[in-house]
Amino acid sequence: MELFREDGCMTDDGFRAMMDGQLDELGRLEAAEHLSYCDQCMDRYTALLTADALETPPRGVQGAVMGTIWARLMQNTYGRAAVAGVAAVLALTMWRSGALQQIIQVGAGQETGLRTEQSQLWEPGQNDPAPENTLPYQPIEDDRTETEQEQLGKPVETKQDRRYAGEGSSLLQKLFTDVTDKIAGNAQNTEK
Amino acid sequence: MTTLEFNALVRQYQGLVYTVCHQLVPDEGDAQDLAQETFLAAWRAIDRCPPGYEKQWLARIASNKAKDYLRSAWVRRVNTPGDAVLALEGAPPGADPEQQVLDAMSEETLTEKILGMREPYRTPCRLMLLEGHTAAEAAALCGRPQKTVEAQIYRAKKMLAEQIRQERRSEDGIVS
Repeated sequence: MELFREDGCMTDDGFRAMMDGQLDELGRLEAAEHLSYCDQCMDRYTALLTADALETPPRGVQGAVMGTIWARLMQNTYGRAAVAGVAAVLALTMWRSGALQQIIQVGAGQETGLRTEQSQLWEPGQNDPAPENTLPYQPIEDDRTETEQEQLGKPVETKQDRRYAGEGSSLLQKLFTDVTDKIAGNAQNTEK
Repeated sequence: MTTLEFNALVRQYQGLVYTVCHQLVPDEGDAQDLAQETFLAAWRAIDRCPPGYEKQWLARIASNKAKDYLRSAWVRRVNTPGDAVLALEGAPPGADPEQQVLDAMSEETLTEKILGMREPYRTPCRLMLLEGHTAAEAAALCGRPQKTVEAQIYRAKKMLAEQIRQERRSEDGIVS
């Protein structure tokens, strides 16, 4: 039995064999491949699929399909609506409880503190006395715990850290000099 | 189309879609899954359904789903683990064992073998392997999608190589 004609379309025998379940795996693949692009053969095939030739699916296709479609619609529409609703309720709660105002105030206070000019602060460790009209040095305490700092995933930069981390950090320089002196001294002792 | 209208469409054509899937894929469970996939794909692309051609359009999606299923099942079965042709797709031409078998043949024998093939393999093989057209050109010339032509060439090479191996084996058997 020839499944295809010389012009590449399916034969009537081919259709009959397909509908009777007589095609092997390769034949079924070739038929499916052909029906997926050939309009003429698709028309011929669907014309053969009359009511008496149709099979009934073992389980209801309709329920499963519509259930999946509804679930996807819910995920898309109601999912977004739920997220927006939760965000709105959270914002309203924060506003009503005054937490929002508190956050804004704290933020504004930190801004003012950071804007204090460096020249007005007295450097600790300096031998010179603090000049007149200079604000006393008050390091900003970092009240976060060690765990919190690690969770943030970046080095902690407190006000104090920033002050010591500059190029002329006297503590670092002192440490560096001590270490290099010690190494030099050890080397001299070894030579002796 | 609203979900209610689509629900009516599913109710009307579930038998047709399942029949197409089951005639192409004999396993009932697989056919049922393919029928469901067909309707879900139809729902996503419902705007592209030509009015009045729902039956043909759904049957086309179902045959496409069945084709994809059968194609991967065929590739899985043919390229069994440990088989030298496992890396056929995407491998350089030199590494293609089927191509090596075909290359070893004389042009005359290859022409004879290709022209002796049945459809749907003869036309794309003639265009690509004998006349030197690209897959895109061959697809345009024989009015088939390029992927289909590539898949048919892939299978045709396997068939030809297997046919030649069998002929050699039978020749060796006669000689010995």
